[in-house]
Amino acid sequence: MSDTDITSTEMDGMGPGGTKVGLARVLGPAHIWGLGVGIVLVGEYMGWNFSVGKGGAYAALLACWFAGILYSCVAMIDSEVTSTVAAAGGQYTQAKHIIGPLMAFNVGLYLVFAYTMLEAANAITFGFLIDTVAGMTGHEGLDQRPFIILAIMFLAWLNYRGVLATLTFSLVITAFAFCAIIALFLTTAVFMSDSPLRHAELMTDLPYGWLGVIAAMHFGLWYYLGIEGTCQAAEEVRSPARSLPFGTLAGIMTLLIAATLTWYVCVGLMPWEYLGQAGVPLFDAARMSGSVTLMVLLGIGTMFATLASANGCINDASRAWFAMGRDHYLPDWFGAVHPKFRTPYRAIIFLVPIALIFALGAPLDQVITFSILSGLLGYTFMPLNVILFRRKWPVDTIKRGYEHPFHPIPAIILLCLCGVTFFAVFLGYGSQLVAMLSFYIIVSLWFHFWRYRFVRRAAQFTMPWPRPKGY
Amino acid sequence: MANYIPPVQGKISQIIDVIVLLVLAIGALYLPLFLGLAGSAQTSEVPENVTWDALGQNATMVEKWNELGYATATDAAELITSRFDYSFSVLNLLVMIVVVIGYYFIVLRFSGKEYSEVISEKFGDK
Amino acid sequence: MDMWNVMEYAAWGLSIIFGLYIVIDWIKTDSTYSEEELMSSREGELEAMTEEHTL
Repeated sequence: MSDTDITSTEMDGMGPGGTKVGLARVLGPAHIWGLGVGIVLVGEYMGWNFSVGKGGAYAALLACWFAGILYSCVAMIDSEVTSTVAAAGGQYTQAKHIIGPLMAFNVGLYLVFAYTMLEAANAITFGFLIDTVAGMTGHEGLDQRPFIILAIMFLAWLNYRGVLATLTFSLVITAFAFCAIIALFLTTAVFMSDSPLRHAELMTDLPYGWLGVIAAMHFGLWYYLGIEGTCQAAEEVRSPARSLPFGTLAGIMTLLIAATLTWYVCVGLMPWEYLGQAGVPLFDAARMSGSVTLMVLLGIGTMFATLASANGCINDASRAWFAMGRDHYLPDWFGAVHPKFRTPYRAIIFLVPIALIFALGAPLDQVITFSILSGLLGYTFMPLNVILFRRKWPVDTIKRGYEHPFHPIPAIILLCLCGVTFFAVFLGYGSQLVAMLSFYIIVSLWFHFWRYRFVRRAAQFTMPWPRPKGY
Repeated sequence: MANYIPPVQGKISQIIDVIVLLVLAIGALYLPLFLGLAGSAQTSEVPENVTWDALGQNATMVEKWNELGYATATDAAELITSRFDYSFSVLNLLVMIVVVIGYYFIVLRFSGKEYSEVISEKFGDK
Repeated sequence: MDMWNVMEYAAWGLSIIFGLYIVIDWIKTDSTYSEEELMSSREGELEAMTEEHTL
């Protein structure tokens, strides 16, 4: 190792040699789709419906589509940058190369917290589901804790053992959960001779007016939150420049379809006041359809969706943590790769107890809000990122796997929608927003004035790119 | 420019760094809870004489409520009438805007400084 | 003691097994391989070898 000069300008990054044990490049585009959609699809099974509570049924649909636009911008921007910066850590590595170390550190933390919180939320929901099933068979007072812990331990074990099996598992159960939504829609809307859907009678005017539509954006994000996680797999994909844009964009299309179908079926079956606070809306919808088969299908679908999501979250959070360790942003001990399984095993292990603390100790809505806020801060970073990317390395200076169209319009739209969403979060959870930002401000100062001294300067810049314009 | 050589960090110092991060993160999560600021409150005004009609529910809605397990109007009354309070003070809004913009300003500024250092070390001085 | 109680114990048991597997393998790995080898992963290595960034 000592004979390789990592700051060499001829040999970009490490160049050949150096890595004895690295992450395994084994994934294809389908795994990327499974990872992206897998993390998010749980949002269709629970959580999105709080946007109905925030502003009524139509507001939820508008929020669904506006958030859809927001995420389409995210997916396009991310696809372009990540097809060029293909390394574990995803947006963290992008920020490091394009904006600077402190931004990268913040982005890395957004990722780790958004995903670890989401993982905790999924485990909580999984325990709740088991309890519901036990309740339906007549068992009262089930202890949910062993099931919450089991979900986290099993998925951590799976992640520890290797990325291929992990994401193949995600792919299969995600596909099942997606098919369950399609089946629910087709059965209730098309095949049933006497359709149980009653849109005309159930739909009401906006109960809060247009302010409710904005407020609904808060949970509108939940339809898609986490799709940007596809970037984390960049170092493990066989051909990142092709697979990442393909998997991510296919993922966002899948989700737009699933989100709209979910909304359509649910608001046709339940009064909005109920839907707005339901714990498992799609399962309720299946129950209301009167078909036992659908009920079982959607019950299993809900369970699979929570597992796929938690699984993807462990995968993504550990990649981000690992990448930060590798760069000494965090203690370098975390930057180790398992020689046999080729996974960032120390990062995976470290995040297990953290997920357990949140899953067993914190209330669900608090955990979800923390996750959404971290995500939102990340989306606000993306337009800044892509604008600087295009400015420092214009299109004709480096080869990109994918170039998103109409630049800078997507970036500007994304920035505006983020502003609206900040306001929506402020309407309900203003104090959390300020608490979170205070956390990130304190941590930023800590990083800039203390932690950054342990980071090698030029070695962080590993991409074989020319000097950025303007520096 | 001479290359910057970072000091080697000791084991204990590394562990302290991780603990500091964790304490801050858990603090940010629980502080609003302890201060009782968490969540947005819902209020509900149940009318005196509770009937499905008074709650503005039509026949289909009533049928769905029944299917969901709410047999009478009284059972569902609180759920149907509960509303969020979206009123806010302009001052609070301004504080939030300042905090958000200030945060990104700090981060971008410091990042920019660190970034030019990285670039000049990587590509040499111009 | 019905089926669900058994399931609770089974869940505790399985969690412990998965946890132990991870911890034992972790200790074994850390003691078998040198730190230098475990932490030799470098970002962007394959990138540098496989991706052409000149137009």
